[in-house]
Amino acid sequence: MLWLYIHFPNLLMDHVRSTRDDPGALVISDARKQSVFQACPEARALGIRPGMRLKTAISLAPDLAIMAAAPEREQQVLEQQARWLYRYAAHICLRPPDGVLAEASSMSRLHGGVDGLWRKLTQALEQRQLTAWLATGQTPRAARQLARADRGQCTDSPETLNGLLHGLSIAQAGLPERIAERLARVGLLSLGDLMQLPAEEIARRLEPETLQLLQKIQGTRPDPQPAWSPPHRFCQRLDFTRDVEQTSGLLFPLQRVLGELEEDLQWRQQDTDSLLLTLRHRDQPETRIRLRTAGPEHRAANFLALARLRLEQQALVAPVEGMALRVSRLIPRGQPMGDDLLGDGPDTQEAWQVLISRLQARLGDQALKVLASHEDHRPERAWSHGRPVRPGTASGTTCPSARSRPLWLFNSPEPVIHLPEAWLSGPERISGGWWDGERVQRDYYVAQLTSGQLAWVFRDVSGGWFVHGLFG
Amino acid sequence: MKELLDTLISDARVWQGSQQAQTTLPAEPTGFSALDLQLAGVGWPRGALTECLLPAPGIGELQLVLPLMRRQLEAGKTVFWINPPYTPYAPALEREGLNLAQIVVVHTQDQADALWSLENCLRSPVTGLVMAWPTRLKSREMRRLQLAAEAGDSLCILFRPTGAADNSSPAALRLQLEPGQNHALDIRILKRRGGWAAEHCTLALPDRAPVRPDTATSVVRGPWPERNR
Repeated sequence: MLWLYIHFPNLLMDHVRSTRDDPGALVISDARKQSVFQACPEARALGIRPGMRLKTAISLAPDLAIMAAAPEREQQVLEQQARWLYRYAAHICLRPPDGVLAEASSMSRLHGGVDGLWRKLTQALEQRQLTAWLATGQTPRAARQLARADRGQCTDSPETLNGLLHGLSIAQAGLPERIAERLARVGLLSLGDLMQLPAEEIARRLEPETLQLLQKIQGTRPDPQPAWSPPHRFCQRLDFTRDVEQTSGLLFPLQRVLGELEEDLQWRQQDTDSLLLTLRHRDQPETRIRLRTAGPEHRAANFLALARLRLEQQALVAPVEGMALRVSRLIPRGQPMGDDLLGDGPDTQEAWQVLISRLQARLGDQALKVLASHEDHRPERAWSHGRPVRPGTASGTTCPSARSRPLWLFNSPEPVIHLPEAWLSGPERISGGWWDGERVQRDYYVAQLTSGQLAWVFRDVSGGWFVHGLFG
Repeated sequence: MKELLDTLISDARVWQGSQQAQTTLPAEPTGFSALDLQLAGVGWPRGALTECLLPAPGIGELQLVLPLMRRQLEAGKTVFWINPPYTPYAPALEREGLNLAQIVVVHTQDQADALWSLENCLRSPVTGLVMAWPTRLKSREMRRLQLAAEAGDSLCILFRPTGAADNSSPAALRLQLEPGQNHALDIRILKRRGGWAAEHCTLALPDRAPVRPDTATSVVRGPWPERNR
């Protein structure tokens, strides 16, 4: 069995740099030790090295952008990488904080051998601007140690792999520091030297754990690898090195995330209709923005247009230091709705969806209403409104009422101020609602008001006269 | 003299008013033959603005646009109502044979949003008809809407108060609506394409409200106090 390990030496750095548009020096700091953890090439050019104290680094580069490393952030970023790597290998495992292990042999036929898989991965990594060290190995542990030492080669021949493994120094073997030191004092410098020793001796003189590790590297001890499976949601987080103060500044990074969302949805063959954008502020609770489309959608351009409309409406309460896009509602893609070959079905449907989504994004979800009628005698209860649904999906089970009704209905009845000019028809008694406590007892008339309007006038049980609608 | 005229005419050196090419503006018939006649067979102009100026809602203005709305809905188009003054009453619309699922009522917070929605609706190919009740419109905004209507080739009817009649407007058709005798609707054409203004017609609108043939006196009114209340 062949394993492939991908080690990301600068994972956080690459992640932050991918969404950054200013080319200044950047370091990831270790908050506990107050030292530089990872440094970007620009920072290295200024003389900043990993392990250096932060104060020294700042004096070397006064406008240095510093980002603190946090374990949960690394985990999230690693999962983001695992999600796209999952497309290339069926069985992958996360090796926090900075590695992903993939089982390569079962998929090598699909990719045209290990070379093909290697090439595809390298391309994908380059496209994502990620620094990565790849290595193959016959055991998970061997692949890992080779990758971490950046000694990996694209090969599946056992001899070459063994040779590489034997060439690793003791320090690169992943042994505890104490053991490595002892071995160095004995004069064992490479992993090959150590592996030639008899197993009993190692267990007796060193520690049983060291033997276990060695056996895992050699493949003589089982090393089960629980498979990782991608979650049924999309979640991507971004961290800004400089706080963003304008909503327009959020659009550029958002565009990139939406592109990845589109790719992800395309690959899953799924759509979504609701996106949750979370803006993180430094000292304030985060802002949550929900973007909805009128129908299932997967294209980044459409999401971006909605996000732009929505962000234009929204003023930032505080500068944004990071944001996250989360999609938890995934809808399987249906068949195209077109009924016939030449019909304009799908196009119109899509245009409808785009228009409604746009209007909702700018005006709010409650601004657009579709009316519906109900069978109730009470005029207020005979209608309702709901969210627009795609035309054609609503069932047309309507039974028009026999009674004539006005086209305009007042939100609440208004008292009659002037005596109507003429009485045209009536009364029509409406009495109902005794069953749900909203009793209505009225006599309705049609009358012409002095202004010339035809009104629907009623007199209620208490004797008051009200206008309830107009015949428009 | 007659021969001279004949030669002039046969040589086509004289332009004759009667030969004026019939304007073939894209339009939708109004559904009322009396009004269609007045509009010189043009009807509601497509890809342009129409203004209906009325003193108050409830004088029959919706009856006037019902045939047009019905036709658009039957063609599978969507009809938008932007900021209507009252609630369009669903049972009544259904009774008129309109498919409620294709009618979208839009309420906006302010005038800027209303104009933005109007423009977006006009430019979309799904829109059959947009009806709007704007509060106040500047002529610059009107022109913007006119361009949007041209771009989307859609129908747009703006309902505005009568006072707006004094202002100039880029609308292709301007109708002034007044309540007429016997619940009819009086229409005065203030402006139209390819014809003179100030034409007049009256639509009876018999289906507007249930009116008894022997009106006033026979209606039982219940106890109504002597004085106005």
